[in-house]
Amino acid sequence: MQLTRKSKAAIIIGLLPAFLIYAVFAIYPILQSFYYSLMEWDGFTDMTFIGLDNFRNLFEDPLFWNSVKNNLYVVIASVLGQVPIALFFALLLNRKIKGVKFFRTVGFLPVVLSTVVISLTWSLIYNSQNGMLNEFLRNIGLGFMAQNWLGDTKWVMIAVLVTVVWQFVGLYFIIFLAALQNVPTEVLEAAKMDGASEWMTTFKITIPMIWDSIIVAVILCISGSLKTFDLIYVMTNGGPAHSSDVMALYMFHETFNNLQYGYGSAVSVFIFFFSLILIFIVTKLLGKKMI
Amino acid sequence: MESIVTTKNNRRTNGKLKKRLSRIIIYTLLGLFAIVNVYPIIWMAINSFKSEQEFTVNQFGFPNEFILENYANAWEIANLGVLFKNSIFVCVTATLVTVIIGALASYFLARFKFRFNKIMYTFFIFGLLIPIHATLVPMFILMKNLGLLNTEITLLFPYVAFHLPITIFILTSFMKAFPKDIEESAIMDGAGIFRIFWSIILPMSRPAIATVVILNFIYNWNEFSFALVLINDPALQTLPLGLANFAGQFTTNYGAQMAGLTMSLVPIVIFYLFLEKEIVNGMTSGAVKG
Repeated sequence: MQLTRKSKAAIIIGLLPAFLIYAVFAIYPILQSFYYSLMEWDGFTDMTFIGLDNFRNLFEDPLFWNSVKNNLYVVIASVLGQVPIALFFALLLNRKIKGVKFFRTVGFLPVVLSTVVISLTWSLIYNSQNGMLNEFLRNIGLGFMAQNWLGDTKWVMIAVLVTVVWQFVGLYFIIFLAALQNVPTEVLEAAKMDGASEWMTTFKITIPMIWDSIIVAVILCISGSLKTFDLIYVMTNGGPAHSSDVMALYMFHETFNNLQYGYGSAVSVFIFFFSLILIFIVTKLLGKKMI
Repeated sequence: MESIVTTKNNRRTNGKLKKRLSRIIIYTLLGLFAIVNVYPIIWMAINSFKSEQEFTVNQFGFPNEFILENYANAWEIANLGVLFKNSIFVCVTATLVTVIIGALASYFLARFKFRFNKIMYTFFIFGLLIPIHATLVPMFILMKNLGLLNTEITLLFPYVAFHLPITIFILTSFMKAFPKDIEESAIMDGAGIFRIFWSIILPMSRPAIATVVILNFIYNWNEFSFALVLINDPALQTLPLGLANFAGQFTTNYGAQMAGLTMSLVPIVIFYLFLEKEIVNGMTSGAVKG
């Protein structure tokens, strides 16, 4: 649109509310966390500038690396669990069968539910005394396999990861389903005419044609996994003995329980760059522009 | 001759059998997928009507009689009335504010050429890359300094700020697609800039607006981290925060826990079932383009 002086004023008025609230409550905090990460500070008394000491300590902190490791488990389980399962069921549903709408609705349902509700529900399922899982194992005669799922350092991460995968399969399922609907039917029919089997068509035509969506799913999956916090906070709070700790949770405890604001901020800064770098690498590897 | 006919027939019945078999396999697998997705929730809902004793002996069947006591207990102990009220207020207000100021900003970013347009847009979209947990500490300190910890409007600020990027992203790309001469004819008719926004652009953007309203609503309704850090007054807690605290305090009262969780699920599940189509459309268009 042509600009007059009046429209310049209008642009400023129109952009200002969004700009202000976004700059003050999203951009300013992330910049502040850089600043705090260079300080030694308990949140109450005066700050002392200590340069990069927080980061030096961070890199020597085995508990921090433990949380990074667990976070990577979440990333791996999400990418290797959610994406293939979602793709499998989307391909299964992408044909002329009855009940497509039903399966689609049910498939996406967990994504809509609050993480806290999901965590609490699954905590009840994993409950060592009368949780559904142990009860089920006892009923089918496998009682010896019953475990204290969330209280055992060997099992806790696996239990948590199952819930993580369960929660978000539906998201990628829907993305793939939408992508599959955009694959032109003529192409598939032509392949059929040429005598290609269903396997061939799926792997040589359908999947390559929705490759972009698969990449988007992988990127969403990775960046989502790095944000894991609520689920583990509610289910195990990082325990037992830090065996289910992740970066965001570690940051939270260091800051608000141990009152090390500077050190906690250093973890925040690490999370920020870790996410950016990982997304950058993945987009470069897969040749997709994020924005 | 005869043998050729039989093999042909055999092949046909074989093909039919194969087709039927693959159908059975497909439905079985999809059925399993559906059960795995909903059974945990149904299990909880059914058991929320059982007494403590019945729960321990009969976990997988229907209750002998539906006991509503768990619900009364949960409502009272978890203070669900207050939690619902707070959640609805925060969620509705934050969604409205985000969509209104987001739509206004998107209008100028999508329909006007000015010097800082591209920079401004990139600036907003950058927010999609900010991990919110990296801002919890400074957000807490900022809110403390502003005297905004533990108030009714505390959560509105971070919720609006962090959902503007996706809102602007979806709305801008939608508004950009309108033909260029829309405004010209409106200007001929004497409409001003804000008039064009309100009477032409906004109504035309309805599908995208629906999408961002739904997305914002679901995010805000379920948000936990900011509520955890910025609110500790029980009278101001939102549903996810209140439920987490409630479950932490009443670990052994399974019936009441399950009743509380079931009640908290009702609004969002109804919301979802009503708007399922739009949610799915919105999720896909937003996510696939991302």
